[in-house]
Amino acid sequence: MLLLQGIQNMGRVTAPAFKKQLGRNFVFQWRDVHCSCALTAKLKDPPSVKKPPDDLPVFQYIGKQTKRVSKIFVWGNAVTGALGIPDFLDPPPRKRARKHQSVPYCLQDFSQDARTVSCGYGFTVLTSSKEKGKVWGTGVNTDSQLGLQKTVKTTHKGANAIVLDYLIAPAPVDLPLTNPQETQVLQVACGRAHSLILTDREGVFSLGNNAYGQCGRAAVENEEYRGSSQINRVKIDGKVKQLAAGLDHSLFLTEDGEVYSCGWGADGQTGLGHYKSEHRPTKLRGDIDGEKITQVATFADCCLAVSEKGELFGWGNSEYNQLASVTDTTQVNVPRLLPFDYVGKAVQVAVGGTICAVLNDQGQVYVWGYGILGKGPKLEETPIPELLPEVLFGRNDFSPDVSVKEIKAGLNCFAAVTTGGELYTWGVNKHGCLGLGHVKDQYFPWKVSLPGEVVSVECGVDHMVAVIKSLL
Amino acid sequence: MSGGRLQLTLALIKPDVHGHPRLYRHLVDTVLRNGLLFVRSRVLRWNQQDSAQFYGEHEGRFFYNRLVGFMASGQMSAHILAGEDAISRWRQLMGPTKTFRGQFTHRDSIRGQFGLTDTRNCTHGADSEASARREMNIFFPEFDAETWWKEQSEFFKDGKVHFDEERVEHIPVGKVHFGEGGVEQLPADKIS
Repeated sequence: MLLLQGIQNMGRVTAPAFKKQLGRNFVFQWRDVHCSCALTAKLKDPPSVKKPPDDLPVFQYIGKQTKRVSKIFVWGNAVTGALGIPDFLDPPPRKRARKHQSVPYCLQDFSQDARTVSCGYGFTVLTSSKEKGKVWGTGVNTDSQLGLQKTVKTTHKGANAIVLDYLIAPAPVDLPLTNPQETQVLQVACGRAHSLILTDREGVFSLGNNAYGQCGRAAVENEEYRGSSQINRVKIDGKVKQLAAGLDHSLFLTEDGEVYSCGWGADGQTGLGHYKSEHRPTKLRGDIDGEKITQVATFADCCLAVSEKGELFGWGNSEYNQLASVTDTTQVNVPRLLPFDYVGKAVQVAVGGTICAVLNDQGQVYVWGYGILGKGPKLEETPIPELLPEVLFGRNDFSPDVSVKEIKAGLNCFAAVTTGGELYTWGVNKHGCLGLGHVKDQYFPWKVSLPGEVVSVECGVDHMVAVIKSLL
Repeated sequence: MSGGRLQLTLALIKPDVHGHPRLYRHLVDTVLRNGLLFVRSRVLRWNQQDSAQFYGEHEGRFFYNRLVGFMASGQMSAHILAGEDAISRWRQLMGPTKTFRGQFTHRDSIRGQFGLTDTRNCTHGADSEASARREMNIFFPEFDAETWWKEQSEFFKDGKVHFDEERVEHIPVGKVHFGEGGVEQLPADKIS
């Protein structure tokens, strides 16, 4: 008791002295780092900002060496392993397995080196600057869409190699590059069971299911895809700029603005004027002939493209009014010009299963098709684009300059990135794939809580992946 | 199973599900939970001709081409299911053909939950007794329905069966089962 009192007294005596010393130290520190501190330097520069008086402390937030790092966040259906977090499926002791993740979760291993990603049906392909491999895959691998992935299992009988049907953490994909030191991977695209990889020097590689020739090689009857190590180099005249993978077909956009396609054409999604499968990437004609296309988009069986002039083109499935403005039939097998002049100059398109969206140069989003389009709690079916109010994307009196800069579509959901680096999602919330913390459908754009500025987002059938940049 | 008339139906699980072994297992569990019994099961792969023959009745419809093409795209499995009103119950479990609409109207059905598009819609089911007989004949030519009714239907009716996980079939208790062409071994889940 006495001892305790003694300590308390001591505290009373020494505390002010400590404080004084602390204060002195702090001021000293501040003076020392003043010139190297990025935040204070920024404040000092504009003459209109008053210099804080000397007796007020200034807090140092970031050091000279601090850099903004990129991070990858994943959410949605975890059962397939497409999220790449092994703890969800193989939980540590006293933790339970997770079937779906409805709030964004950081993919730690990848965060520093990540570049671009793409989501397929139950799998994800990531590109990185890691030394071990340029392309990494996680999730379902039953059609070797992530390459041949093996592990060695040792039993008392000896060691056996087993082919992995599922990967629950990202594993490198062995690309047959001739010059792996210099070649860089620019983009990846994933379909239902195939992946496309675009490199800067060595063209396009394809792997996975090729039942319709979607990998750009002749379809072989009864080919066994499980455990196959085949990676094909796609032959296309011209340099490819952008890839788009449908569920069972592939689109290639070249630097000259031409579009090539291969794969399944039963809905006219290859746009080649027939409903058969085509394994050679073939140039699309129709209304886009002579136009310079700047972007192509597809997800299921409907395709959209936008030209340099800002015109929209569409082909493929039209059972749900996707292309009802130009046709009464359910399928269109050549690219058609869509007469949507009133949307202004289109710069980007996104298309899911039955939902379509276009972004114009003013940053406005127009939607059409069938399903949850984002205009309220009713299912909508509309053949012509309708504007989504800009206020839903965070434009208001306090932030009048915010507009949408990127739109993406999953099978039944949309995602939009704004110029402020915020992510908005809406649509059918299968397995929590909207990342809103619940599994109920979202009928209008809603902001996803992410700790940073969103760089890009990719939607799969039931999961999403976002690449973000940390704030500091 | 007590009282009621036993019925046989044919169920197909399409290639989009077979790409996801876990989803396949989930569907099998769904069938079991709903009290339907597996009489025969088989994993197979079709080519274009088989598929065209099977869907011959739809020839000329706009979706015929893509239906035929999809069914020939990979591994699938055929099952004979038994149960009271098996035909209508299995069709109810499947949900509507149009997946994009079904996901809003029939949330709990198999297609509403897992269907990708109207073509890639997980499952197929016979729609009448006549078509069930016809389709069973296509997939299980060696399956003799008459003998089955005579010898085994009582076991299924009284629930005196046990489920063989590997074959995905119910086997009458106390009966030695001389199956014809059992299910291929399913790829087991392997985790890296």
